[in-house]
This record gives sequence, C-alpha cells and structure tokens, in this order.
Amino acid sequence: MNFLSLFARNLRRGPYTEAFPFGPAKTPEHLRARITFDPKQCEGCRLCEKVCPAGAIRFTRTPGGMTFDCWHATCVFCGTCEFYCPTKAVKQSNDWHLAHAQGEKYAQVEHGLIPNQICVECGAKALDTAPAVSHIKPPLSAEEVTELRARCPKCRNKYLRSRKTS
Amino acid sequence: MSADPQISKVSTIPVGPLHVALEEPMYFRIDVDGENVTGVDINAGHVHRGVEYLTMKRTMTQNVVLTERICSLCSNSHPETFVMAAENIAGITIPERAAFLRVIAAEVKRVASHLFNVAILAHLTGYEMLFMHVMQIREIAQDLKETVFGNRMDLAAMCIGGVRYNLDAEMTAYMLGALDKLEPEVQAIIKTYKTNSSILRRTRGVGVIAKDEAISVGAVGPVARAAGIDYDVRVVAPYAAYNKLTVPVPTLKDGDVWSRAMIRLYEVANSIQMLRDCLKLLPGGAINLGERPDIPAGRAVAKCEAPRGELIYYLKTNGEEIPERVKWRVPSFMNWDALHFMFKGSKIADIAIIVNSIDPCVSCTER
Repeated sequence: MNFLSLFARNLRRGPYTEAFPFGPAKTPEHLRARITFDPKQCEGCRLCEKVCPAGAIRFTRTPGGMTFDCWHATCVFCGTCEFYCPTKAVKQSNDWHLAHAQGEKYAQVEHGLIPNQICVECGAKALDTAPAVSHIKPPLSAEEVTELRARCPKCRNKYLRSRKTS
Repeated sequence: MSADPQISKVSTIPVGPLHVALEEPMYFRIDVDGENVTGVDINAGHVHRGVEYLTMKRTMTQNVVLTERICSLCSNSHPETFVMAAENIAGITIPERAAFLRVIAAEVKRVASHLFNVAILAHLTGYEMLFMHVMQIREIAQDLKETVFGNRMDLAAMCIGGVRYNLDAEMTAYMLGALDKLEPEVQAIIKTYKTNSSILRRTRGVGVIAKDEAISVGAVGPVARAAGIDYDVRVVAPYAAYNKLTVPVPTLKDGDVWSRAMIRLYEVANSIQMLRDCLKLLPGGAINLGERPDIPAGRAVAKCEAPRGELIYYLKTNGEEIPERVKWRVPSFMNWDALHFMFKGSKIADIAIIVNSIDPCVSCTER
C-alpha cells in the first residue's frame, strides 16, 4: 500500500467522520433504536413483557385499563419484543436521539394505555385490546374484527364459536 | 555496574491490570532479567460479572440476548452456540435459509473482529497511520452490520429455531456492494502486512509458540493455525450451512505474532468470499420456526468457530423455561496459557504485542 496515494485519496475525500451534531448523521432504515408502542394494535398478551431480557417493559392494570411502559434507559435495543409481538404493536424505530438532561431521566418512557370498554353484548367492563385473529380460519373480514373487538373476552369466544357453527 | 549480592538479579514488574494491549483488564506479574522476560504469572478475574449465574435466572429467550452481551467482538458466536445447544436438546432442525443467514452473520462478525485485532497490532507497533487506515476499512463492515442488522456490534440475529433477520434484494445488493468495496482494501492491507518493514521488524520471530507447545496448551483458533495446527470447527464439525460451503483453513508454520496476524487477514479475505458464496446460494423459505419452541429436559454441548477459536457451550435444562446450568468455554481461556510459551525469551517492549496477538477477549473469559 502506497501511503502517499492513500494520503492523497484521503485529502481529496475529506473527513470520514460525520459532522453531527452540526450536520446530519446517516441513519440506516433498519437501525434498532427507540421502542414505539401502538395501543390500538396491542392484543394484551404481554409476551413482550415476558421476553424482554432487560425487564424494561411493564404492563400495569389501572382503573382506566392497562398501561404499557417501556423504559428507554433500561432497554437494550435487542428487538426481542418486536420479534415476538404477534401484531407488531411494539416496534423498534430507527430514532436513536435518546440523549436527555439529567432532570428528564424518569420521563424517558414510552407510555401507552389500552383503555377499558363496555362489552356490546353483555355490558361487562373489559380491555379494548385487538382481537387475536391471525390463527383463525377462515380469516375474519374487517367488519367481523370490529364486531369482535367491541366484545369482552368471554363474548369474543362465544362469537367465534357461533361463527364456526353457522 | 558491579553485581550487588543484596539485589536479586531477577526483578518482578506488574503489567496491567489496565491497558496491556486493549483496554481490557489482564494482570501479569512478569519476572525480568534486564530486558528479558524470564517468567510470567497471569492473574484473572478482574471483570467477573457473574453472567453464568445470570443465565440461570433468565428464560431461554432472554438468555439469547444476555449471551450476546457477554462480549462485543464475538457477540454473534455466543448466542449462536447457545441456540445450537438448545436446538440439540429439542431436536430442532433449522430451515435451510436460516442456516445460511447464520453463516452470513457469523462471517460478517469475523471480518470486523479480525480487522480490529490487526489494526491494534499496527497501533502497538507505533504505526498509527496504518492503524487508522485499517480501522477505516473496518468501518465498511461496521456500516454493513448497522445497515443490515441494525446495530454496529450486537446483531440480534439469532433465535431458537432460526434467525431473526431476513435479507431482501435491496439488502443483498447493498451487501455485495460493500464486499466489493472491502475486498481490494483487504488485499492491499494483506500486502502491507507482508512487506512493510516496520511491521515485520516488530512481529517476525516475536512471541513464538511451537506446534507441540500449542497442542500441549490446547491453543485454538488463529493462534493454533499460525503454529501449524490445521483445526477449524467449521471444517471438523460443520454447523449451520458450513457443510455446503468451501471453508479454506489457512495455516502457517512459524507461530509468531506476524503469522497470527496474517492468519487473521487471510481469514478476512476467505470470509468475504464465503459471504459472496452464501449470498449466491441463499435458498428461499422460512427464516425460523415461527413459535417459541419448548425446550424439553436434557443436556447438550454445542461448539462453533468464534473469531478467536473454538467456543463450546454446555446447556442443561429441566423442562422449565429457565435453564438449569449454562457453561461455556471460550477460546481466549485456552490461548491464555499459550502466553507462557510466547513470553519465554521475549523483551519487555514486546509484551503488549504478544498479548494482543492472541486477541484476548477478557470479558468472555471472565464473564
């Protein structure tokens, strides 16, 4: 390797380092960074909480429903939650801007609420989770999913049983 | 100076525990006679974190991630071997595509790991420009990891029953482009390490270990291959898709620091070729079994060729989600003992170069 030619090459090319924070930093699309949560898509199976190796994810039952919390400071960005999430309600975005002031450290949380709803059939209070439909055959239509979603777990089972027999 | 009977001829100096070669804690008590090393005592355990104990407190799925974080440079080999052990117990055969994707992840890590070690060698010989250049070339592999896997070090590629990442046409094209960029640069680096007089003067005939000595301490990986031992787990006990690929095993006879660096560089070139073969042969189909497979009670041993050599995992399960025992034997543990032979007759100034030449991974070894 001729280091003079290498020197000339590097001189022509300029610095290899990125100018961040004074310029943009190249971020690949598949970068595994900040966790995002969509409560509308969550089935409430709590698998992400179970598989999370860092214990960063916690579900809590509250009077308003069930809350999801992912502590970014505890998260190790392994992506296991996204991989096992049946509906991809938990996703890993490529947003790596996680630097924050010391005072904000307890606010570095992805928070979501799966609210309670009143079952349209029996009137019981139940979580408004996305129904687990991926394994059901024949697949449900969009209207059927909406109808199923409006019910409590018991009535959902009843709905699916009656669908099978009809 | 006349010999003073009050002063011992041999004095003992401490090397480490910080900043021996890499910024990893290894502690050596070295007996020196003038500038020559006469004896060495290696003291380990400075970064013991109890990871083996932690694996017995976490589920199998969580352990795949935990084992990935034992070490950064072989962060793919640990979960790979762990899931292989789990799959052995459950009798799982992974899909063919997953086997090839496992090879791709492993070889990309090998390229980055070996280039890092070779760069540090240039740094220790005081050749900073070459160090910077090799690290810059390694950055191509780092960018590849970040773009394809989403992280520069922890690929998160493994899961029990297959892999977690997939390659589409765009990613395959990107990888081939990156390999095309990497290959001529690696060939140029090989030529430099072969011919540059600064490198040769500091590394030829330094830290020599003979073949029979290497066998007696059970040296593995590039350390063994540089001493003439033709041993590579990818060839003697093929796992993943290595039985469908040509795996060249370069060996050299001298067993000195230079030979070990050259073995690593040859392996980088071979890995690039194997990555190309993999991308060409990559079959379609599933990348994993989809579910989280149940691991029944049982015991299994799995091994793979980590960048530093043979990595062995022992796994004992009792049918529950949490393993009963996980134990691993890392390549650096075997190669540490080889240092006793390498230090024999060397100079104090060569200590750092010799330590670096076994590519010690202290965080794996002391976990």
